Amino acid sequence: MSKQSILVTAFTGFFLLSCSEQTDVPEPLQNGLIYCSEGNPESFNPQRVTSGTTVDATASQLYDRLIDYDAEQQAFVSALATDWQALDNGQRYRFKLRRGVTFHSTDYFTPTRTFNADDVVFSFRRWLDTEAPYHSVGGGFYPFFAATGLDQLISDVEKVDTYTVDIVLTHPDSSFLANLATDFAIILSKEYADQLTANDQQALIDKQPIGTGPFKFVAFKKDYHIRYQRHENYWRQGPEIERLVFSITPNANKRMLKLVTGECDVIPYPLVSELKSLNREEIEVRSEVSPNVSFWAFNTQRPPFDDPQVRQALSYAINRKAIIDTIYYGNAELAESILPPTSWASTDAELEYQYNPEKARKMLREAGIQPGFKMDIWAIPVQRVYNPNARRMAELMQSDLAEVGVDVRIISYEWNTFRRRLSRSEHDSVLIGWYADNADPDNFFRPLLSCAAVASGSNRANWCHTGFDQILYQAISTTDNAERKQLYHAAQQLLMQQQPLLPIAHSMRYQAQREYVKGVELPPYGGISFRLAGKEQPAQ
Amino acid sequence: MTRYLMTRLFYFFLALLVLSVVTFALNWLFPGDPLTNMSGIREGQTAYEAALTSRSFDSTIIQQYLNYLEHIVRLDWGLSLSTGTGVWQDAATYLVVSAELLLLSFLVAVVVGMPLGMLAANYFRHNIDKFILTSAMTGYSIPVFWLAQLLILLFAVQIEWLPITGQINPLYAIDSVTGSVIIDILLSDSQYKLAALQDATLHLILPVLTLSSLPSMLLLRITRNQTIEVLQKPYVKAARARGLSQQRLLFRHALPNVLQDVLPQMTFIFGLMMANLVIVEHIFNWPGAGAWLLKAIIERDYPIIQMVLFTLMALILVLNLLVEVYRGWRFPMTREERYGGY
Repeated sequence: MSKQSILVTAFTGFFLLSCSEQTDVPEPLQNGLIYCSEGNPESFNPQRVTSGTTVDATASQLYDRLIDYDAEQQAFVSALATDWQALDNGQRYRFKLRRGVTFHSTDYFTPTRTFNADDVVFSFRRWLDTEAPYHSVGGGFYPFFAATGLDQLISDVEKVDTYTVDIVLTHPDSSFLANLATDFAIILSKEYADQLTANDQQALIDKQPIGTGPFKFVAFKKDYHIRYQRHENYWRQGPEIERLVFSITPNANKRMLKLVTGECDVIPYPLVSELKSLNREEIEVRSEVSPNVSFWAFNTQRPPFDDPQVRQALSYAINRKAIIDTIYYGNAELAESILPPTSWASTDAELEYQYNPEKARKMLREAGIQPGFKMDIWAIPVQRVYNPNARRMAELMQSDLAEVGVDVRIISYEWNTFRRRLSRSEHDSVLIGWYADNADPDNFFRPLLSCAAVASGSNRANWCHTGFDQILYQAISTTDNAERKQLYHAAQQLLMQQQPLLPIAHSMRYQAQREYVKGVELPPYGGISFRLAGKEQPAQ
Repeated sequence: MTRYLMTRLFYFFLALLVLSVVTFALNWLFPGDPLTNMSGIREGQTAYEAALTSRSFDSTIIQQYLNYLEHIVRLDWGLSLSTGTGVWQDAATYLVVSAELLLLSFLVAVVVGMPLGMLAANYFRHNIDKFILTSAMTGYSIPVFWLAQLLILLFAVQIEWLPITGQINPLYAIDSVTGSVIIDILLSDSQYKLAALQDATLHLILPVLTLSSLPSMLLLRITRNQTIEVLQKPYVKAARARGLSQQRLLFRHALPNVLQDVLPQMTFIFGLMMANLVIVEHIFNWPGAGAWLLKAIIERDYPIIQMVLFTLMALILVLNLLVEVYRGWRFPMTREERYGGY
């Protein structure tokens, strides 16, 4: 008997001891913030990848751009460039650079000089110039720049003097500044690159990154966490917190649980309805209208999806209204086009393809598709702003398509594998989406559906239409918004006829956090930023 | 004893050899290129041609197997298909992480299970015995994943005492050097060692509790049954007749004999724990070999799957060997029991 009671006492004592100490929060926890991200970054350089997970983990934390976009003022604001002007009828942009901007000082790199024109030239040439020494490091593949055509648009980056850089364009382009203000046009350190070259460790540039951003990189353990430390000499107002951790938690339920237990301070892609039903006052759910679209893209280079009639017929078969209710719990708008209604170039036109299984069945037969036709739907394995549960969505579509005699197999791999195989075009069709990097409507067209984007792999439909490309090209060559609006209307009309993809929803963007977290804003464009992150100290 | 030792060793190596044949065969049974499955080098990579010869793929299957064995002995398990880094190089910390969890859970199981089992046996058919046995049966019947959810719900969500994921709050910035979080904290130059240790202990409670539940209940039952049996032996009765106290009787006379039969069960229990380890590590985001194996299976990372499977199974074999050798040395009767003579 005595033995048992000793054990019981020991256990209770242990529990009590461990709780009583919690009132006194140790310093590392007070000055640190944990963000439970949804996946592993593919690289620590957003120049090389377009996935939101990577952008979140790198762009606004580790790096800065020449200019930023202020969504509130709807204007470009200075960042590493203090001033800029268009010369030569918009074919040359001159940037004055900020002085005294320091790069990260870490245990693997100590900068001896501050930021200057050499860094800008190096960073741009990395993706621009196929001859540049660092171009091929990591595969020589820069999807954002290839998809937006920025690598064709910029003919040269010239250093004028230590703090002046000229960017020369092949032709005037109204989307140029918008693209420069995206999360991808970041500035790397040339000095660091030179050091790596001297040690013959070029590949480390994207694994142990150096930038000018508000946080510096400390460590990355795949599948577990990324650790950052505050950049003490940041050139503008930096964060209050000293440490930032991205705790990698792919499972949405577990993310929610960790927020409840306080192991996460902020989580992306929360299960909104479930979180609200928990009704905990220490948790805040924030939402933001986000320019995004989820769509079902057909691989138009694979028969029978090369036939527009098949694509149209399949589009008629999908009950999109049910998807909005089931997958988004109504927190999304039915998409009539890939361009969200908030954009100034959007039309009022309704999408042709409203749910009509009868018509779908008839059109499929006409196109020579027999009942029992088998196809794959690839569903992204991660939650995105535009699609909180692609797998479930695919299941709904599977039953919709079964109605019209199409037999669907759902395919899902781990995210990195998924992207790799997707860019090799192994899919019949894919449920994926896009969210805007900048406010320009061009951002919804060229990166997604231009011929250049087929080559760069971001055109998931592999759809290349010269007429369509022509319209897009005309639209970016002019700065007259009325004219551009006309052109984008024409482009959307053409898309509806060709139907390389079926737009499904424009979703709200959500984030959940503990109430004491402040300064973690959801920018409408691009990745999350912790630049102003802080914590209100709980009353002791 | 020498002969006994030799036979045990012989069977041990035979089992290892069979195990290696199985993992070797897996390379062909997995879909894809056997060489890629084995070495982690994809066709088309520059190293592929070199690997063809270095892995004897230009020779007979026997040669390939011998070559494979040689690589295993050198701990060269090839490269991970998903990260491209050396499998063994990553494995070391993962294995230590799991070892820490396993050992602590096992310790808890022994400390909880055996005394309670003896207690129950001591009060055989009394209410105490019934109570302990009923709770043991209940604990024994709850599946691990379910128990984990219940514990999380109670201790983390309802009363918010315990964290549920990872070894330690990552804000403590403890670098994973050995893999064992407690050793890592002691090795680190953090200013907050004490707070970190406390945090790590809190993180340990739920996984250890979950992982130790089944083995402790098993041990309890085995210990109880054995003790009851031993307590009815004539020599115990004789001892009691000579006026020995119950305590002395239990610990000095019964316990060693109980141990003799409980020990071989330990390896069986350890095997069970290995299986549960995968589940527990996954649920609690424990950066150990079990979670790593699960992830490798999802990502079809064959070199890692092979390595972890082989290592975990080899570990059970080693444990088995150790227990048998210890038993053979400590209780000479068992040698005779199996093979006759000394």
